[in-house]
Order: sequence, then structure tokens, then C-alpha cells
Amino acid sequence: MKRSREKEKGRSKPAGKRDRNKEKNKKKILAAALELFRENGLDGTTTKQISQKAGIAEGTLFNYFKTKEDLALFFFQKETHDLVEWFGKEARLQKVPLPEKLFAILHRQLEYIAPYEGFIGAVFFRSLQPHSKLSPLSLESQELRLKYLRFLREVLAQAEDKKEIPAVGDLGAYAVGLFYIGIVTHWLHDTSRGKQKTLALLDRSLNLATKVLKKGGWDW
Amino acid sequence: MKTGPKSIGRAARLAQLGVGLAGSYLAYQLQRPFVDEQRNAENRRSLHRKSAKQIREELQGLRGPVMKLGQAMSMQTHLFAAEVVEELAGLQMQAPPMHSTLMRAQFKSAFGKYPEEVFQSFESEPFAAASLGQVHWAVTKQGEEVAVKIQYPAIREVIESDFKMLRTAGFAARLTGHLQESVIREVERGILEETNYLKEAHNIEHFGEHLAPLSFVRLPKVYRELSCEQVLTMSRVGGLRLQEFLKTNPSQEVRDKIGVGLTRLFFFQLFCGQALHADPHPGNYLFNHDSTIGLVDFGCVKYLKPEVVRCYAQFWSREWVHDTKLFAEIIHVIFGPKVSPDEPRVRRCMNGIRRFYDKFHPLTENPAALELADPKFMDGLNELARTLLKNKFLSPEFLFLSRTESGMCNLLHTLKSRVPTTQIAREWMPAISERQK
Repeated sequence: MKRSREKEKGRSKPAGKRDRNKEKNKKKILAAALELFRENGLDGTTTKQISQKAGIAEGTLFNYFKTKEDLALFFFQKETHDLVEWFGKEARLQKVPLPEKLFAILHRQLEYIAPYEGFIGAVFFRSLQPHSKLSPLSLESQELRLKYLRFLREVLAQAEDKKEIPAVGDLGAYAVGLFYIGIVTHWLHDTSRGKQKTLALLDRSLNLATKVLKKGGWDW
Repeated sequence: MKTGPKSIGRAARLAQLGVGLAGSYLAYQLQRPFVDEQRNAENRRSLHRKSAKQIREELQGLRGPVMKLGQAMSMQTHLFAAEVVEELAGLQMQAPPMHSTLMRAQFKSAFGKYPEEVFQSFESEPFAAASLGQVHWAVTKQGEEVAVKIQYPAIREVIESDFKMLRTAGFAARLTGHLQESVIREVERGILEETNYLKEAHNIEHFGEHLAPLSFVRLPKVYRELSCEQVLTMSRVGGLRLQEFLKTNPSQEVRDKIGVGLTRLFFFQLFCGQALHADPHPGNYLFNHDSTIGLVDFGCVKYLKPEVVRCYAQFWSREWVHDTKLFAEIIHVIFGPKVSPDEPRVRRCMNGIRRFYDKFHPLTENPAALELADPKFMDGLNELARTLLKNKFLSPEFLFLSRTESGMCNLLHTLKSRVPTTQIAREWMPAISERQK
């Protein structure tokens, strides 16, 4: 226990030059990969193409990411990291009612993935396969999932403290997480102008869900 | 397990309001429980308030077109008890707003950029809510003060699905003949047209051009480069909304001048432009102490067929009373080719129209100015409306015309104006005669 705490402490220390370079390379590879995924799709892109585009040796690429799925996981790790950081800085959002807060969070996520629609579609398809690292059941994706769920749990806890909603516990965070998956599926199939149907769905369902919770529909 | 929330969804809510609401756009189903003379007055008032409040809350929850129907209903003041009108009028300015995060997201989705990238400054809180959108104050990069109307996301799709449900909910009403498919179609077409703000931009420009001779009317200017189908940027029009204006105690002279102005504006639109600003709820008019009138919200504009305008002019000129050929022509326009002018219901309608116009807009040499504040006038209008509805005088073309006319009468009544209506109507009769030739 003590050791792991020390380990945690060590992690939170400012990153050294080596770590910074590592992070920089990972981002460089991701940027190159995303561009290629956009052009050729996830399956149509080879690791060779990615390493060439990123300007590194193929062997070095494997040091960072063993498979394309690892790359996809890194994409989502970065997304979650950025999301949590962004939300913490948005002073206005801390004060708005829960439906707007959740709308802002989920919309921010959609904006993040918007340029890579084809890639996201392919990732969604892959995550349905049980052996995939992207599957919700895979151990590799658990850390990412937990970080996201903890973040949502905190947002919901704020609303609970303000008596906006009754106590929903961890189940509330799971519900929002699942809701987001549903929203992304809708978003992927949304052919309306500017994907406005998704905006409307997001707004209406969040308002409705909050109303349901307030009226005690949760208490079963 | 506790019972879940009552409001499960739009469909359920529509079904809950059911046939009564669907039919009530033409105010037939609803007016009966509300205009029951047998009941004790106090009981009746409390019933009205309760029902009206329920209707308003339901409509507000639904947003979109059904709320639009509520607005339209509230304009039929001559058909509803005062308490009902009061509640329904609440719909006009109280649509639940988009929160600023959704508003920004929607602006970007419609316009391709965030508002702060397009304007020098942009107020994130709306100053007015509309059923299909909301309006924000902004300043352009050139420093001009503008009003920016932003539409709710995917409202068109919502409207289409709402009308599907309305058709189902109104099925029983249609069976009894109280809600005609043609009327629903007309309302749907009108409302769908409102979802294209470029169409509204066109309407503003059309009216700006045609109403130029009326120096007392103020219209907004459209900023085309800052507008698209779901965002409309317009210059600010000065003036106060009716209730705010009345709080400033305008003199009788100003009230009369504005009354004359509104009447002229109505006739001018009809006879010169052959198009009507057909959404006459009080929020769309802005009043000033120099008697100028600001006209905003051109989403609902009805371009009228010439024969309908001619027919309406006949209500005023009453030439048909002694001209059987003309009478037959009018009946053809209003009731369609299959209805005979000798049908008793046709006679009843036309006699009702004649009685009303003879009494309130007499064709004598110098009729006195009409006291619009007089409750007898509104009673007369009520009676006429009841006669027409009872005898199924329901033409989609006349729907908008009568809606605008009754909206105008309502404004004049609230303003307590005195208006020489016959004289003003006479200014336009030659134009009609010209067209007829």
C-alpha cells in the first residue's frame, strides 16, 4: 500500500525530459495516425504508413503502441484527460444547472471526435468484438473507463449537493456513460444538417432525465 | 416501485390533451365547455383558469408547433373566456429558452462559427423567446446593434413528427368534421415555412418595399451576410410591447392615431401587397409615443389569392346583398364549388357577416368613429365568429385573414382606440374596383 502511494507520488512529479519526449512522440504518432485513418480508415492504414508519416522507425512505433487499438486507446485517454482539464477551468459551467453541465461535457466530447467520424465508427465496431482491447470488458480499457466514470460521478455529486437531483450514486455515472455511448451511436448515424438531431436529442433527454430524477422516478 | 413521471413523452402528452386540443385550433371543441351559460359565473371562471393553465403548461412543455397552435388559439379572443386567453397569451413570450451552451452549439452547427467569432459582442442571455427560436442582442463588427434570432436544433423534424401525432390525436375531431385535413395541412405548411429564416428575410424585404409609403411603420433591416436558414440577423426596431406601452399612459390622441395606423396597415397589406403579416400576437407589434408602429417577426406571412382579397372587400362593401351573381361568386370562393348559395348554413353565415358589418361599419355618409373599447363590438365579433364556426365557415385562406383581423381588433380593443373604420376601408375600395375590372 505504502509502496503504491510512493509510486503515485512519483508519478505526480514534474515529468523529466525523457518523459516529455515520450509524450511528444506519442502525440506525433497519434496525429499522423488520425490523418491516415481519416484518409484510409482504421483497417486500411498500416503501421508502416503511420511510422513513415510520423517520421520515426517502425520499430520505435511498436515501442509506443503495440497495435492500432493501443493507438485508439491513447486517443480516448487523451480525450478524457483534456475533458477533465477543460471542465475544471470552465468557471461558468460550475454554476449552471445539471442538464446544461452534462450537455456541455457530452457536446465537448462530440466536438473532440467530430473530425474523425470514420475512425470513431470503426472503433465502435471493433469494440463489439470480445477479444478487442477496445471492448468495454477488456482490462486494457478499464483504467480509461474508470477515470471517465469518476469524473462523471464528481459532476453528479455536485448536483446532489446542490439538491438538484437525489443521490444517484455510482449508478448515475454508469447511466450517463451508457447514455454517451447511445448518443455517439446516434451521432454516427445522424445525417441532419450539422448533426442537429443529436443536439436536440441531447438537450431533450438530459432535461427529461433531470426532471424524472427530481420527481422521484429514480427511487425504485 | 413508485409511479414514474407523468410526462413520459410528447406522444403521451398530446394524447393526454387529446381531441379537445387538436380540434380547438378552430376553437370548436374547446369553446363549448368554456361558453356554457348555465353555470354559475364564479365556478365557471375557476374551471376556465384551471383548464387554461393546464393547457398552457402542456403546450409549453411541447414547444414547437403545438405551442404555435396555442398562440394561434390565444388570438381567437372572441372565442374564449378571458381567463383562457390570459393563460394562452402567456405562451407568447414564455417559451423555455435554450441554455447558452446549447445556443452556442446550435449557432455553430447552423452558421459554421461561434457567435463570438462573428459578432463584436453577443449577449448569451436571450431577450425574447419564440416558439421556434430565441432572440439575442448583439453588436456587429461594424458596431451596429442587431437582434439575432436562433432556431432550436432540428425543429423542422420535430414539427413534422408533431404533426404526425396531431393528425392521430385529431382523428376523432376529423371524423366529426371539426378539424379538416386541409386546415391541418395549411397550418403545417405555414409553420414549416417559418422554420426557414431566409424565407423570413425575404418576407421582411418584401414588406419593407411594399410598406414604404406608410411612413409610420418601422421594419427591421436584414443582414443577409449574418443570416442563414436557422440564424436571422436584423437591425433593432424601437418601441414598446403593448402592455409596456400602456403602462406609460399614452394619451387618447396617441391611442387613436395608432389605431388608425394599425387599421391602415392592415388594409394596405391586404389591398396593395396582397400579403399579410399573419402572426398578429401583441409581441410582434412595437408602439411609440410618436404614433409609429414597429413590426417584427415576419415568419408567418400569408400571400393571398386575389379572389380572396376581393371576397373580403365585399364583406365591407356589401354589394352582394343586391347582386345574386356576385353572391354566388363569393360563396364559390369561400365554400368551394360544391356548395350551393341557397344552403341554409351559407345563408346563416352571410347574414351574420352582413349584420355585423351593418352594425359596426355602417355604409352611411359620415359614420362616427368606432369605439373599439366598447365591449359591444367585441361581443358582436364573438357572435359572428360563433355563427361562422357553427356553420362550418372554414376556408384555409380565410383562416389567416380572420386570424389577422381578429388579432388587429384585439390590439385596438386593448388600446381603447377610436377608429373611423368605414372611412379608412373606403380609401381602399377603389383599388378593389380597379382590380375587379
